[in-house]
Amino acid sequence: MILREFSLEGKLAIVAGNGRGWGNYLAIALAEAGADIVIAAPGGKGIEETAKKVRKMGRRALAISTDIAKSSEVEEMVERAISEFGKIDILVNSPDLEFARPFLEVSDEEWDQVMNINLRSVFLCTRAVGKHMLERKTGRVINVVPGLAVRGLSNCTAYCAAKGGVLQLTKALSQEWARGNIRVNAIGHGWFSEEERSEEEQLKDPLVRYIPLRRLGRPRDLSGLVVLLASDACDYINGQVLFADGGVLAHV
Amino acid sequence: MILEDLNLEGKVAVITGGGTGLGKAMSHALAGAGADVVVAARRVGPIEETASEVRGMGRRALAISTDVADSQQVERMVERAISELGKVDILINNAGIGGEQVTKPIWEITDEEWRIGIDTNLTGAFYCSRAVGRHMVERGSGRVINISSGYGLRGGRDNFMYCCAKAGVVLLTRSLALTWARDGVRVNCIVPGFFATVPLDRPEIRQYIESTARFNPMGRVGEPGDVGPLAVFLASEASDYVTGEIFCIDGGGLAGGYTPTGYAPIIPLKG
Ligand SMILES: NC(=O)c1ccc[n+]([C@@H]2O[C@H](COP(=O)([O-])OP(=O)(O)OC[C@H]3O[C@@H](n4cnc5c(N)ncnc54)[C@H](OP(=O)(O)O)[C@@H]3O)[C@@H](O)[C@H]2O)c1
Repeated sequence: MILREFSLEGKLAIVAGNGRGWGNYLAIALAEAGADIVIAAPGGKGIEETAKKVRKMGRRALAISTDIAKSSEVEEMVERAISEFGKIDILVNSPDLEFARPFLEVSDEEWDQVMNINLRSVFLCTRAVGKHMLERKTGRVINVVPGLAVRGLSNCTAYCAAKGGVLQLTKALSQEWARGNIRVNAIGHGWFSEEERSEEEQLKDPLVRYIPLRRLGRPRDLSGLVVLLASDACDYINGQVLFADGGVLAHV
Repeated sequence: MILEDLNLEGKVAVITGGGTGLGKAMSHALAGAGADVVVAARRVGPIEETASEVRGMGRRALAISTDVADSQQVERMVERAISELGKVDILINNAGIGGEQVTKPIWEITDEEWRIGIDTNLTGAFYCSRAVGRHMVERGSGRVINISSGYGLRGGRDNFMYCCAKAGVVLLTRSLALTWARDGVRVNCIVPGFFATVPLDRPEIRQYIESTARFNPMGRVGEPGDVGPLAVFLASEASDYVTGEIFCIDGGGLAGGYTPTGYAPIIPLKG
Protein backbone atom coordinates (compact mmCIF):
# COMPACT_ATOMS: atom_id res chain seq x y z
CA MET A 1 0.00 0.00 0.00
CA ILE A 2 1.63 3.18 -1.20
CA LEU A 3 0.09 5.38 1.50
CA ARG A 4 2.14 3.51 4.08
CA GLU A 5 5.31 4.86 2.44
CA PHE A 6 4.30 8.33 3.65
CA SER A 7 4.17 7.17 7.25
CA LEU A 8 6.79 8.62 9.59
CA GLU A 9 6.30 6.07 12.35
CA GLY A 10 9.48 5.36 14.27
CA LYS A 11 11.17 8.53 13.00
CA LEU A 12 12.38 11.46 15.04
CA ALA A 13 11.96 14.97 13.70
CA ILE A 14 13.48 18.15 15.09
CA VAL A 15 11.53 21.28 14.28
CA ALA A 16 13.77 24.28 14.95
CA GLY A 17 12.57 27.86 14.90
CA ASN A 18 12.20 31.07 16.83
CA GLY A 19 8.71 30.30 18.03
CA ARG A 20 7.03 32.18 15.21
CA GLY A 21 5.70 31.15 11.84
CA TRP A 22 5.13 27.58 10.81
CA GLY A 23 7.11 25.54 13.32
CA ASN A 24 4.28 24.46 15.59
CA TYR A 25 1.99 23.50 12.73
CA LEU A 26 4.68 21.52 10.96
CA ALA A 27 5.45 19.66 14.18
CA ILE A 28 1.78 18.65 14.40
CA ALA A 29 1.73 17.55 10.76
CA LEU A 30 4.82 15.38 11.22
CA ALA A 31 3.31 13.86 14.37
CA GLU A 32 0.06 13.17 12.50
CA ALA A 33 2.13 11.14 10.08
CA GLY A 34 3.61 9.23 13.00
CA ALA A 35 6.87 10.97 13.92
CA ASP A 36 8.17 11.71 17.39
CA ILE A 37 9.02 15.39 17.79
CA VAL A 38 11.66 17.61 19.30
CA ILE A 39 10.62 21.22 19.10
CA ALA A 40 13.44 23.68 19.57
CA ALA A 41 12.81 27.39 19.94
CA PRO A 42 13.44 30.13 22.50
CA GLY A 43 11.45 29.08 25.58
CA GLY A 44 7.95 30.10 26.31
CA LYS A 45 4.59 28.42 26.49
CA GLY A 46 4.26 27.98 22.75
CA ILE A 47 6.62 25.06 22.29
CA GLU A 48 5.50 23.30 25.47
CA GLU A 49 1.89 23.49 24.29
CA THR A 50 2.85 22.00 20.96
CA ALA A 51 4.73 19.20 22.70
CA LYS A 52 1.62 18.50 24.79
CA LYS A 53 -0.52 18.33 21.68
CA VAL A 54 1.90 15.88 20.11
CA ARG A 55 1.84 13.67 23.21
CA LYS A 56 -1.96 13.68 23.12
CA MET A 57 -1.66 12.24 19.61
CA GLY A 58 0.22 9.29 21.08
CA ARG A 59 3.70 10.37 20.01
CA ARG A 60 6.70 11.26 22.10
CA ALA A 61 7.62 14.92 22.23
CA LEU A 62 10.19 17.12 23.83
CA ALA A 63 10.27 20.93 23.89
CA ILE A 64 13.83 22.21 24.27
CA SER A 65 14.21 25.90 24.88
CA THR A 66 16.95 26.95 22.47
CA ASP A 67 18.39 30.15 21.08
CA ILE A 68 18.80 28.74 17.57
CA ALA A 69 21.22 31.47 16.54
CA LYS A 70 23.67 30.42 19.28
CA SER A 71 26.07 27.65 18.44
CA SER A 72 26.50 26.21 21.94
CA GLU A 73 22.76 26.07 22.60
CA VAL A 74 22.10 24.38 19.27
CA GLU A 75 24.80 21.77 19.94
CA GLU A 76 23.34 21.05 23.37
CA MET A 77 19.83 20.75 21.96
CA VAL A 78 20.97 18.25 19.33
CA GLU A 79 22.93 16.19 21.87
CA ARG A 80 19.94 16.06 24.12
CA ALA A 81 17.65 15.00 21.28
CA ILE A 82 20.02 12.17 20.39
CA SER A 83 20.44 11.02 23.97
CA GLU A 84 16.65 10.96 24.52
CA PHE A 85 15.57 9.47 21.20
CA GLY A 86 18.71 7.73 19.99
CA LYS A 87 18.71 9.35 16.55
CA ILE A 88 17.45 12.14 14.32
CA ASP A 89 15.83 11.36 10.96
CA ILE A 90 14.34 14.70 9.99
CA LEU A 91 15.31 18.32 10.56
CA VAL A 92 12.86 21.09 9.75
CA ASN A 93 14.30 24.60 9.93
CA SER A 94 11.51 27.13 10.18
CA PRO A 95 12.84 30.30 11.78
CA ASP A 96 11.13 33.51 10.79
CA LEU A 97 12.06 37.02 11.81
CA GLU A 98 10.12 39.47 9.67
CA PHE A 99 11.66 42.85 9.04
CA ALA A 100 11.02 45.74 6.67
CA ARG A 101 12.76 49.09 6.48
CA PRO A 102 14.08 51.25 3.64
CA PHE A 103 17.48 49.90 2.71
CA LEU A 104 19.45 53.05 3.59
CA GLU A 105 17.99 53.05 7.10
CA VAL A 106 18.95 49.48 7.97
CA SER A 107 21.47 49.50 10.83
CA ASP A 108 24.37 47.08 11.20
CA GLU A 109 22.64 45.53 14.20
CA GLU A 110 19.35 45.05 12.37
CA TRP A 111 21.08 43.44 9.43
CA ASP A 112 22.97 41.07 11.73
CA GLN A 113 19.86 40.11 13.66
CA VAL A 114 17.86 39.40 10.54
CA MET A 115 20.71 37.26 9.23
CA ASN A 116 21.26 35.52 12.56
CA ILE A 117 17.71 34.36 13.09
CA ASN A 118 16.79 33.65 9.48
CA LEU A 119 20.04 32.29 8.02
CA ARG A 120 22.72 31.60 10.62
CA SER A 121 20.29 29.48 12.66
CA VAL A 122 19.73 27.27 9.62
CA PHE A 123 23.50 26.88 9.26
CA LEU A 124 23.96 26.04 12.94
CA CYS A 125 21.09 23.56 13.24
CA THR A 126 21.89 21.83 9.97
CA ARG A 127 25.59 21.54 10.81
CA ALA A 128 24.86 20.07 14.23
CA VAL A 129 22.23 17.61 13.00
CA GLY A 130 23.99 16.87 9.72
CA LYS A 131 27.06 15.45 11.43
CA HIS A 132 24.85 12.85 13.06
CA MET A 133 22.88 12.19 9.85
CA LEU A 134 26.05 11.68 7.81
CA GLU A 135 27.27 9.13 10.33
CA ARG A 136 24.01 7.22 10.01
CA LYS A 137 23.97 7.78 6.25
CA THR A 138 20.35 8.81 6.23
CA GLY A 139 18.41 12.00 6.79
CA ARG A 140 16.06 14.65 5.52
CA VAL A 141 16.58 18.39 5.91
CA ILE A 142 13.64 20.63 5.08
CA ASN A 143 13.97 24.41 5.17
CA VAL A 144 10.87 26.56 5.29
CA VAL A 145 10.92 29.78 3.26
CA PRO A 146 8.44 32.49 2.21
CA GLY A 147 7.85 33.66 -1.35
CA LEU A 148 10.33 36.46 -0.61
CA ALA A 149 13.10 33.87 -0.89
CA VAL A 150 12.59 33.99 -4.66
CA ARG A 151 10.98 37.34 -5.41
CA GLY A 152 11.87 40.84 -4.34
CA LEU A 153 9.93 43.41 -2.33
CA SER A 154 10.84 46.98 -1.51
CA ASN A 155 11.87 47.71 2.08
CA CYS A 156 12.56 43.99 2.54
CA THR A 157 16.09 43.73 1.20
CA ALA A 158 17.65 42.31 4.36
CA TYR A 159 14.85 39.79 4.82
CA CYS A 160 14.91 38.77 1.14
CA ALA A 161 18.69 38.36 1.24
CA ALA A 162 18.50 36.13 4.31
CA LYS A 163 15.70 33.98 2.91
CA GLY A 164 17.37 33.77 -0.49
CA GLY A 165 20.46 32.68 1.41
CA VAL A 166 18.52 29.79 2.91
CA LEU A 167 17.58 28.66 -0.59
CA GLN A 168 21.16 28.74 -1.81
CA LEU A 169 22.21 26.86 1.32
CA THR A 170 19.58 24.29 0.38
CA LYS A 171 20.82 23.88 -3.18
CA ALA A 172 24.51 23.73 -2.38
CA LEU A 173 24.15 21.36 0.54
CA SER A 174 21.86 19.11 -1.50
CA GLN A 175 24.87 18.53 -3.73
CA GLU A 176 27.39 18.07 -0.94
CA TRP A 177 25.36 15.53 1.00
CA ALA A 178 23.62 13.73 -1.86
CA ARG A 179 25.97 10.75 -1.72
CA GLY A 180 25.65 10.70 2.05
CA ASN A 181 22.03 9.76 1.49
CA ILE A 182 20.72 13.01 2.92
CA ARG A 183 18.13 14.99 1.02
CA VAL A 184 18.06 18.75 1.43
CA ASN A 185 14.97 20.57 0.19
CA ALA A 186 12.89 23.62 0.97
CA ILE A 187 9.17 24.20 1.19
CA GLY A 188 7.72 27.58 0.42
CA HIS A 189 4.62 29.35 1.60
CA GLY A 190 2.71 32.43 0.54
CA TRP A 191 0.64 34.72 2.71
CA PHE A 192 -1.11 32.88 5.46
CA SER A 193 -3.34 33.50 8.42
CA GLU A 194 -3.70 31.56 11.64
CA GLU A 195 -7.33 32.52 12.13
CA GLU A 196 -10.12 31.13 10.01
CA ARG A 197 -11.77 33.98 8.15
CA SER A 198 -14.76 33.71 5.85
CA GLU A 199 -14.12 33.87 2.15
CA GLU A 200 -16.18 37.04 1.91
CA GLU A 201 -14.18 38.79 4.56
CA GLN A 202 -10.91 37.65 3.03
CA LEU A 203 -11.84 39.08 -0.36
CA LYS A 204 -11.96 42.60 1.13
CA ASP A 205 -8.20 42.29 1.53
CA PRO A 206 -6.48 43.45 -1.70
CA LEU A 207 -3.70 40.96 -0.99
CA VAL A 208 -6.17 38.08 -1.15
CA ARG A 209 -7.49 39.29 -4.48
CA TYR A 210 -3.97 38.87 -5.79
CA ILE A 211 -3.80 35.22 -4.70
CA PRO A 212 -5.10 33.00 -7.53
CA LEU A 213 -6.90 30.66 -5.08
CA ARG A 214 -8.54 33.71 -3.43
CA ARG A 215 -7.79 32.74 0.13
CA LEU A 216 -4.90 33.06 2.53
CA GLY A 217 -2.94 29.95 3.40
CA ARG A 218 -4.08 27.96 6.39
CA PRO A 219 -1.83 26.38 9.00
CA ARG A 220 -2.48 22.96 7.43
CA ASP A 221 -1.53 23.97 3.92
CA LEU A 222 2.13 22.96 4.28
CA SER A 223 1.37 19.65 5.99
CA GLY A 224 1.27 17.52 2.86
CA LEU A 225 4.51 18.93 1.47
CA VAL A 226 6.48 18.52 4.68
CA VAL A 227 5.32 14.93 5.11
CA LEU A 228 6.07 14.12 1.46
CA LEU A 229 9.62 15.43 1.73
CA ALA A 230 10.24 13.90 5.16
CA SER A 231 9.06 10.44 4.19
CA ASP A 232 10.67 7.44 2.55
CA ALA A 233 8.07 7.84 -0.22
CA CYS A 234 10.22 10.55 -1.64
CA ASP A 235 13.89 9.86 -2.21
CA TYR A 236 14.69 11.41 -5.59
CA ILE A 237 13.59 15.01 -4.93
CA ASN A 238 16.70 16.92 -3.87
CA GLY A 239 17.83 20.56 -3.84
CA GLN A 240 14.34 21.82 -4.65
CA VAL A 241 12.05 24.47 -3.25
CA LEU A 242 8.40 23.45 -3.47
CA PHE A 243 5.71 26.03 -2.85
CA ALA A 244 2.21 25.73 -1.46
CA ASP A 245 1.20 29.33 -2.00
CA GLY A 246 -2.21 29.32 -3.64
CA GLY A 247 -0.66 29.87 -7.07
CA VAL A 248 1.01 33.23 -6.34
CA LEU A 249 4.27 32.28 -8.01
CA ALA A 250 2.51 31.07 -11.16
CA HIS A 251 2.21 34.80 -11.99
CA VAL A 252 5.97 35.19 -11.88
CA MET B 1 -5.20 13.63 9.45
CA ILE B 2 -2.57 14.16 6.86
CA LEU B 3 -2.22 10.53 5.77
CA GLU B 4 -5.96 10.39 5.13
CA ASP B 5 -5.71 13.48 2.93
CA LEU B 6 -3.54 11.43 0.58
CA ASN B 7 -6.18 8.76 0.10
CA LEU B 8 -7.62 8.62 -3.44
CA GLU B 9 -10.45 6.17 -2.86
CA GLY B 10 -13.46 6.97 -5.01
CA LYS B 11 -11.44 9.11 -7.43
CA VAL B 12 -11.06 8.47 -11.14
CA ALA B 13 -7.77 9.24 -12.88
CA VAL B 14 -6.96 9.43 -16.59
CA ILE B 15 -3.29 8.75 -17.29
CA THR B 16 -2.02 9.18 -20.84
CA GLY B 17 0.92 7.05 -21.85
CA GLY B 18 0.07 4.82 -18.90
CA GLY B 19 1.12 1.58 -20.57
CA THR B 20 4.85 1.99 -20.02
CA GLY B 21 7.55 3.74 -17.99
CA LEU B 22 6.59 6.59 -15.72
CA GLY B 23 2.92 6.43 -16.76
CA LYS B 24 2.66 2.81 -15.73
CA ALA B 25 4.37 3.54 -12.41
CA MET B 26 1.98 6.44 -11.74
CA SER B 27 -1.00 4.22 -12.65
CA HIS B 28 0.14 1.70 -10.05
CA ALA B 29 0.75 4.42 -7.46
CA LEU B 30 -2.65 6.07 -7.91
CA ALA B 31 -4.42 2.73 -7.87
CA GLY B 32 -2.43 1.81 -4.77
CA ALA B 33 -3.76 4.97 -3.13
CA GLY B 34 -7.28 3.93 -4.06
CA ALA B 35 -8.08 5.52 -7.43
CA ASP B 36 -9.74 3.93 -10.44
CA VAL B 37 -7.63 4.42 -13.53
CA VAL B 38 -8.16 5.04 -17.24
CA VAL B 39 -5.02 4.26 -19.22
CA ALA B 40 -4.80 5.93 -22.63
CA ALA B 41 -2.12 5.51 -25.30
CA ARG B 42 -1.91 4.25 -28.86
CA ARG B 43 -0.80 0.63 -28.46
CA VAL B 44 -3.43 -1.66 -26.98
CA GLY B 45 -1.04 -4.25 -25.52
CA PRO B 46 0.74 -2.12 -22.90
CA ILE B 47 -2.35 -0.23 -21.75
CA GLU B 48 -4.35 -3.46 -21.41
CA GLU B 49 -1.55 -4.85 -19.31
CA THR B 50 -1.51 -1.83 -16.97
CA ALA B 51 -5.31 -1.91 -16.75
CA SER B 52 -5.34 -5.56 -15.74
CA GLU B 53 -2.64 -4.90 -13.12
CA VAL B 54 -4.80 -2.10 -11.71
CA ARG B 55 -7.79 -4.47 -11.59
CA GLY B 56 -5.55 -6.93 -9.79
CA MET B 57 -5.12 -4.26 -7.12
CA GLY B 58 -8.89 -4.21 -6.65
CA ARG B 59 -9.63 -1.03 -8.59
CA ARG B 60 -11.64 -0.38 -11.72
CA ALA B 61 -9.61 0.21 -14.87
CA LEU B 62 -10.18 1.01 -18.52
CA ALA B 63 -7.68 0.82 -21.35
CA ILE B 64 -8.65 3.16 -24.17
CA SER B 65 -6.50 3.24 -27.28
CA THR B 66 -5.94 6.93 -28.01
CA ASP B 67 -3.59 9.10 -30.03
CA VAL B 68 -3.32 12.26 -27.93
CA ALA B 69 -2.28 14.23 -31.01
CA ASP B 70 -5.75 13.65 -32.48
CA SER B 71 -8.34 15.85 -30.77
CA GLN B 72 -11.30 13.71 -31.84
CA GLN B 73 -9.78 10.60 -30.33
CA VAL B 74 -9.07 12.54 -27.14
CA GLU B 75 -12.68 13.77 -26.94
CA ARG B 76 -13.98 10.23 -27.43
CA MET B 77 -11.61 8.85 -24.80
CA VAL B 78 -12.75 11.39 -22.22
CA GLU B 79 -16.44 10.84 -23.06
CA ARG B 80 -16.01 7.12 -22.60
CA ALA B 81 -14.12 7.54 -19.34
CA ILE B 82 -16.91 9.73 -17.96
CA SER B 83 -19.72 7.51 -19.21
CA GLU B 84 -18.18 4.29 -17.87
CA LEU B 85 -16.61 5.53 -14.63
CA GLY B 86 -18.92 8.45 -13.94
CA LYS B 87 -16.42 11.30 -13.79
CA VAL B 88 -12.76 12.28 -14.05
CA ASP B 89 -11.09 13.74 -10.96
CA ILE B 90 -7.46 13.52 -12.02
CA LEU B 91 -5.71 13.94 -15.38
CA ILE B 92 -2.04 13.10 -15.82
CA ASN B 93 -0.67 14.35 -19.13
CA ASN B 94 2.25 11.99 -19.45
CA ALA B 95 2.22 10.77 -23.06
CA GLY B 96 5.32 11.94 -24.83
CA ILE B 97 8.01 11.15 -27.33
CA GLY B 98 11.52 12.37 -27.49
CA GLY B 99 14.40 12.50 -25.15
CA GLU B 100 17.70 11.50 -26.64
CA GLN B 101 16.22 9.79 -29.73
CA VAL B 102 15.19 13.09 -31.27
CA THR B 103 18.46 14.97 -30.95
CA LYS B 104 20.09 15.74 -34.28
CA PRO B 105 21.53 18.70 -36.18
CA ILE B 106 18.80 21.27 -36.76
CA TRP B 107 19.03 21.04 -40.55
CA GLU B 108 18.30 17.34 -40.48
CA ILE B 109 15.02 17.71 -38.60
CA THR B 110 12.10 17.37 -40.98
CA ASP B 111 8.90 19.42 -40.82
CA GLU B 112 7.10 16.19 -40.04
CA GLU B 113 9.36 15.25 -37.11
CA TRP B 114 8.99 18.70 -35.59
CA ARG B 115 5.22 18.71 -36.07
CA ILE B 116 4.62 15.23 -34.68
CA GLY B 117 6.86 15.95 -31.70
CA ILE B 118 5.13 19.20 -30.78
CA ASP B 119 1.71 17.65 -31.46
CA THR B 120 2.35 14.75 -29.11
CA ASN B 121 4.23 16.46 -26.28
CA LEU B 122 2.51 19.84 -26.13
CA THR B 123 -0.67 19.82 -28.20
CA GLY B 124 -1.64 16.44 -26.73
CA ALA B 125 -1.52 17.92 -23.23
CA PHE B 126 -3.60 20.86 -24.47
CA TYR B 127 -6.23 18.56 -26.09
CA CYS B 128 -6.54 16.40 -22.98
CA SER B 129 -6.70 19.39 -20.63
CA ARG B 130 -9.35 20.99 -22.82
CA ALA B 131 -11.43 17.83 -22.99
CA VAL B 132 -11.26 17.07 -19.26
CA GLY B 133 -11.12 20.68 -18.08
CA ARG B 134 -14.69 21.65 -18.90
CA HIS B 135 -15.94 18.64 -16.97
CA MET B 136 -13.71 19.50 -14.01
CA VAL B 137 -14.66 23.18 -14.01
CA GLU B 138 -18.36 22.28 -14.14
CA ARG B 139 -17.92 19.97 -11.16
CA GLY B 140 -15.82 22.59 -9.38
CA SER B 141 -13.03 20.15 -8.68
CA GLY B 142 -10.11 18.47 -10.36
CA ARG B 143 -6.38 17.87 -10.51
CA VAL B 144 -4.24 18.13 -13.62
CA ILE B 145 -0.64 16.92 -13.48
CA ASN B 146 1.54 17.65 -16.49
CA ILE B 147 4.76 15.77 -17.08
CA SER B 148 7.44 18.07 -18.46
CA SER B 149 11.17 17.33 -18.38
CA GLY B 150 14.44 18.81 -17.18
CA TYR B 151 14.75 19.76 -20.84
CA GLY B 152 11.72 21.99 -20.39
CA LEU B 153 13.83 24.16 -18.09
CA ARG B 154 17.31 23.90 -19.56
CA GLY B 155 18.71 23.77 -23.05
CA GLY B 156 20.09 20.69 -24.73
CA ARG B 157 22.54 20.44 -27.60
CA ASP B 158 20.75 19.41 -30.79
CA ASN B 159 17.58 19.14 -28.74
CA PHE B 160 14.93 21.43 -30.23
CA MET B 161 11.45 19.99 -30.52
CA TYR B 162 11.62 18.26 -27.14
CA CYS B 163 12.98 21.27 -25.21
CA CYS B 164 10.47 23.64 -26.81
CA ALA B 165 7.50 21.31 -26.30
CA LYS B 166 8.40 20.54 -22.68
CA ALA B 167 8.98 24.24 -21.90
CA GLY B 168 5.53 24.79 -23.37
CA VAL B 169 4.13 22.22 -20.96
CA VAL B 170 5.53 24.24 -18.03
CA LEU B 171 3.72 27.39 -19.10
CA LEU B 172 0.58 25.49 -20.06
CA THR B 173 0.63 24.39 -16.42
CA ARG B 174 1.00 27.88 -15.03
CA SER B 175 -1.61 29.49 -17.27
CA LEU B 176 -4.14 26.73 -16.63
CA ALA B 177 -3.44 27.01 -12.90
CA LEU B 178 -4.21 30.73 -12.94
CA THR B 179 -7.23 30.28 -15.18
CA TRP B 180 -8.91 27.54 -13.14
CA ALA B 181 -7.76 28.69 -9.70
CA ARG B 182 -11.28 29.75 -8.70
CA ASP B 183 -12.92 26.66 -10.16
CA GLY B 184 -11.46 24.17 -7.73
CA VAL B 185 -9.04 22.78 -10.29
CA ARG B 186 -5.35 22.56 -9.37
CA VAL B 187 -2.75 22.29 -12.09
CA ASN B 188 0.85 21.34 -11.37
CA CYS B 189 3.84 20.03 -13.23
CA ILE B 190 6.31 17.24 -12.56
CA VAL B 191 9.76 17.71 -14.07
CA PRO B 192 11.57 14.37 -14.11
CA GLY B 193 15.32 14.19 -14.49
CA PHE B 194 16.75 11.09 -16.12
CA PHE B 195 14.70 7.96 -15.46
CA ALA B 196 15.55 4.45 -16.60
CA THR B 197 12.36 3.58 -18.46
CA VAL B 198 13.87 1.72 -21.40
CA PRO B 199 14.54 -2.01 -21.25
CA LEU B 200 18.07 -2.54 -19.97
CA ASP B 201 18.79 -5.59 -22.15
CA ARG B 202 21.22 -3.84 -24.51
CA PRO B 203 24.75 -3.30 -23.14
CA GLU B 204 25.09 0.18 -24.69
CA ILE B 205 21.91 1.25 -22.91
CA ARG B 206 23.21 -0.07 -19.61
CA GLN B 207 26.46 1.77 -20.19
CA TYR B 208 24.64 4.99 -21.05
CA ILE B 209 22.58 4.77 -17.87
CA GLU B 210 25.65 4.05 -15.75
CA SER B 211 27.51 7.03 -17.14
CA THR B 212 24.46 9.26 -16.60
CA ALA B 213 24.16 8.04 -13.01
CA ARG B 214 27.76 8.93 -12.30
CA PHE B 215 27.04 12.56 -13.14
CA ASN B 216 24.00 12.77 -10.92
CA PRO B 217 24.57 14.24 -7.44
CA MET B 218 22.92 11.20 -5.87
CA GLY B 219 24.87 8.80 -8.06
CA ARG B 220 21.82 7.14 -9.51
CA VAL B 221 19.20 7.71 -12.17
CA GLY B 222 15.52 7.78 -11.31
CA GLU B 223 13.46 4.62 -10.96
CA PRO B 224 9.92 4.90 -12.36
CA GLY B 225 8.58 4.13 -8.88
CA ASP B 226 10.18 7.36 -7.59
CA VAL B 227 7.48 9.51 -9.21
CA GLY B 228 4.55 7.52 -7.81
CA PRO B 229 4.25 9.14 -4.37
CA LEU B 230 4.71 12.62 -5.83
CA ALA B 231 1.86 11.96 -8.27
CA VAL B 232 -0.31 10.71 -5.39
CA PHE B 233 0.43 13.86 -3.39
CA LEU B 234 -0.44 16.14 -6.32
CA ALA B 235 -3.61 14.16 -7.06
CA SER B 236 -4.81 14.31 -3.47
CA GLU B 237 -6.44 16.73 -1.04
CA ALA B 238 -3.04 17.11 0.63
CA SER B 239 -2.03 19.50 -2.16
CA ASP B 240 -5.15 21.68 -1.99
CA TYR B 241 -3.17 24.96 -1.71
CA VAL B 242 -0.59 23.96 -4.32
CA THR B 243 -1.17 25.16 -7.87
CA GLY B 244 0.90 26.35 -10.81
CA GLU B 245 3.96 24.82 -9.18
CA ILE B 246 6.84 22.88 -10.71
CA PHE B 247 8.09 19.75 -8.95
CA CYS B 248 11.55 18.74 -10.14
CA ILE B 249 12.46 15.19 -9.26
CA ASP B 250 15.99 14.66 -10.45
CA GLY B 251 18.22 13.73 -7.52
CA GLY B 252 19.45 17.31 -7.33
CA GLY B 253 20.71 17.63 -10.91
CA LEU B 254 19.12 20.97 -11.70
CA ALA B 255 19.97 22.42 -8.29
CA GLY B 256 23.63 21.93 -9.12
CA GLY B 257 23.29 23.11 -12.70
CA TYR B 258 24.37 19.70 -13.98
CA THR B 259 28.02 20.38 -13.29
CA PRO B 260 30.24 17.34 -12.82
CA THR B 261 29.62 16.13 -9.30
CA GLY B 262 32.54 15.44 -7.04
CA TYR B 263 34.43 18.45 -8.36
CA ALA B 264 34.48 20.40 -5.14
CA PRO B 265 37.78 22.05 -4.32
CA ILE B 266 38.43 23.40 -0.84
CA ILE B 267 39.43 27.07 -0.86
CA PRO B 268 40.56 28.40 2.54
CA LEU B 269 39.96 32.02 3.56
CA LYS B 270 42.94 34.25 2.89
CA GLY B 271 44.20 37.12 5.08
N1 LIG C 1 12.36 8.74 -18.82
C1 LIG C 1 12.88 9.92 -18.61
O1 LIG C 1 14.06 10.03 -18.31
C2 LIG C 1 12.06 11.15 -18.72
C3 LIG C 1 12.65 12.34 -18.33
C4 LIG C 1 11.91 13.52 -18.41
C5 LIG C 1 10.61 13.48 -18.88
N2 LIG C 1 10.06 12.30 -19.27
C6 LIG C 1 8.68 12.34 -19.77
O2 LIG C 1 7.90 11.43 -19.04
C7 LIG C 1 6.85 10.93 -19.87
C8 LIG C 1 6.88 9.41 -19.84
O3 LIG C 1 8.09 8.98 -20.41
P1 LIG C 1 8.69 7.54 -20.23
O4 LIG C 1 10.11 7.70 -19.94
O5 LIG C 1 7.84 6.75 -19.34
O6 LIG C 1 8.64 7.01 -21.74
P2 LIG C 1 7.76 5.89 -22.45
O7 LIG C 1 7.86 4.61 -21.70
O8 LIG C 1 8.13 5.92 -23.87
O9 LIG C 1 6.29 6.43 -22.26
C9 LIG C 1 5.69 7.32 -23.14
C10 LIG C 1 4.29 6.84 -23.35
O10 LIG C 1 3.60 7.79 -24.14
C11 LIG C 1 2.78 7.10 -25.05
N3 LIG C 1 2.60 7.91 -26.25
C12 LIG C 1 3.54 8.34 -27.10
N4 LIG C 1 2.96 9.00 -28.13
C13 LIG C 1 1.63 8.99 -27.89
C14 LIG C 1 0.51 9.49 -28.59
N5 LIG C 1 0.63 10.16 -29.75
N6 LIG C 1 -0.72 9.29 -28.06
C15 LIG C 1 -0.85 8.62 -26.89
N7 LIG C 1 0.16 8.13 -26.20
C16 LIG C 1 1.40 8.31 -26.69
C17 LIG C 1 3.49 5.81 -25.36
O11 LIG C 1 2.57 4.77 -25.67
P3 LIG C 1 2.18 4.42 -27.22
O12 LIG C 1 3.45 4.41 -27.96
O13 LIG C 1 1.52 3.10 -27.12
O14 LIG C 1 1.23 5.48 -27.66
C18 LIG C 1 4.21 5.51 -24.07
O15 LIG C 1 3.49 4.62 -23.25
C19 LIG C 1 7.08 11.53 -21.23
O16 LIG C 1 6.28 12.67 -21.40
C20 LIG C 1 8.54 11.93 -21.20
O17 LIG C 1 8.83 12.98 -22.08
C21 LIG C 1 10.76 11.14 -19.19
